[in-house]
Amino acid sequence: MNRALPEMLHCLSGPGNGTDMTVLERQRTRVKWQHQEQQNYFGGSEFVGGFLEPSQASQVGDFQDLLGGGGGGGSVLRDVMTRSVKPDPGLESGWPELGRYELPDLGFGSAVLMNGSPTGFEMNSTIRRTSSCPPTEAQVAPEAKGKVSEPAEKMNSAVGRESFKKRKADKVQNTKVVAEDDAKDKRSKVCAEEGESKITTEQTRTKNTTTHTNNREISADTSRENSKASEVQKPDYIHVRARRGQATDSHSLAERVRRERISERMKYLQDLVPGCNKVTGKAGMLDEIINYVQSLQRQVEFLSMKLATVNPRLDFNIEDLFAKEIFPACSANFPTIGSSSEMTNPAYLQFNPVQQMVACCGLEMGVNTPDLMALRRTISAPVSLPETYFDTSCFTQLQPPSTWDADLQNLFNLDSHQGRSISFPSQPFTGSVEASNLKMEI
Amino acid sequence: MISKGATRNSNSRRIKFARRFVSALLHMRNQNPRPGSLSIEGSVRTRSQRIKIAAYLSMAQAVGSRRAWSRAVLSKLGSRARRHMRRMGRSSLGSLKKKRVIRSYSPGELGQAKKLRQLVPGGETMDICSLLEETAHYITCLATQVKVMQTLADNFSK
Repeated sequence: MNRALPEMLHCLSGPGNGTDMTVLERQRTRVKWQHQEQQNYFGGSEFVGGFLEPSQASQVGDFQDLLGGGGGGGSVLRDVMTRSVKPDPGLESGWPELGRYELPDLGFGSAVLMNGSPTGFEMNSTIRRTSSCPPTEAQVAPEAKGKVSEPAEKMNSAVGRESFKKRKADKVQNTKVVAEDDAKDKRSKVCAEEGESKITTEQTRTKNTTTHTNNREISADTSRENSKASEVQKPDYIHVRARRGQATDSHSLAERVRRERISERMKYLQDLVPGCNKVTGKAGMLDEIINYVQSLQRQVEFLSMKLATVNPRLDFNIEDLFAKEIFPACSANFPTIGSSSEMTNPAYLQFNPVQQMVACCGLEMGVNTPDLMALRRTISAPVSLPETYFDTSCFTQLQPPSTWDADLQNLFNLDSHQGRSISFPSQPFTGSVEASNLKMEI
Repeated sequence: MISKGATRNSNSRRIKFARRFVSALLHMRNQNPRPGSLSIEGSVRTRSQRIKIAAYLSMAQAVGSRRAWSRAVLSKLGSRARRHMRRMGRSSLGSLKKKRVIRSYSPGELGQAKKLRQLVPGGETMDICSLLEETAHYITCLATQVKVMQTLADNFSK
């Protein structure tokens, strides 16, 4: 332990010294450090105290804070990780938000931490192993690439032990990639705080960004391996694969999920709204949709006015109304009923009370009942004068409101003056229509 | 979203709507004996507005409480809301509104989304994703409403 300490202190103490150490020496120190760490965690907080002894307090004061005075391994590492994540401009998102989408992937880290000691040590070892000072920027990249393979195996095994996560190898690579970001950030942060007192914070920040961009490259490389883009549904969360050449940031993944959902709904709307095929792009389609909804609402208003003029002329009895009820459901154009044999839907056979109507709803519309004949007679006569009056009046009176809300509000105002009371049936009526029981309050 | 059960659902919805609407019309006709007091235009207007409310209400009832927009319509036009409004005046409707939800992320389509929210009932407190879904369902229901009303108007016209 004491043998390796001076070397490690060398590494930590100055930036210039690091160039002297070869990669092999660095790995050696790393391995020794890891072993010592493991011993330490088995034995308690000795290591922390021991490590702190020979070093200068000012340099490792922060590290002591980071270690949290030898608290539980899980909490220590969590602190370390969170602290390392914070100042990094790349990973701006707060931890909980990160956790929302990435926690399943990153969660092996925290889950490992929370689970208990053995897997926690795995995580410790992996983090410690990757922790070493990056002396210069030039050496960071090959170093980082070298380290990708090392923690990969460790993390693979750690993940494999997590029984509640069933993932393929690609997913593990993804998690490794994301964890790599954190690990590297933590390492750079730790080394920055420990040794390099001469380096200002700006330099460390640039180092962080450069390491992060290197990480980005690595992540892009590894994401290229996951060239497939698919979405696996799980009960709690949605796994989204990183596509070829796209960022695996949690933000962008969430954005992509959201965008895909929105585009799916827009496609559905495109099928609904007629004439939407010519327009492309979200803005144009939204305009079309808005126009269509407005036109439909205007049509409802127009038809209600039409019905208002026609209403007092209702002279039919109840069975006729049943017929009208059914026929609008059966076919769009009543006058063409004799010719068209439209709509054979078994749902219509539910209308028990009026047998003749049920028969009418069958294939042939040629069933003649006295009611039907009466209807046909009335319908054949065209509406001439009231219609013209109605049309002109309605076009002067129609002011289609932009909001359905204001429209109904006006209606409330109007009706409250008059104090009428008409109430609506609360349940669907089954058989006869009893007008006296119907009340619609407005 | 489009499934084979949708046509069956739409048919039953159409039937329900037609039933309720026709019954409401009937009731309105029975309840409307006095023609002379108001001018023809005024009476037509009030009656048409009442018919329109009946149409929306019956459509929302046919849909049920499954959709956010139908719930909004029912809460707005429901019997409780009307009683409440009549007792406490029109200002109470403002208190019935839900608290405003700050919609943070909707880049680039704010204007149209706002318009759409105003058009679709209950769309004020929804995010874009669910707003689009509600719009789709609302459009289908409006279309059936228009079809039924058209048929009725054609039938009832002299």
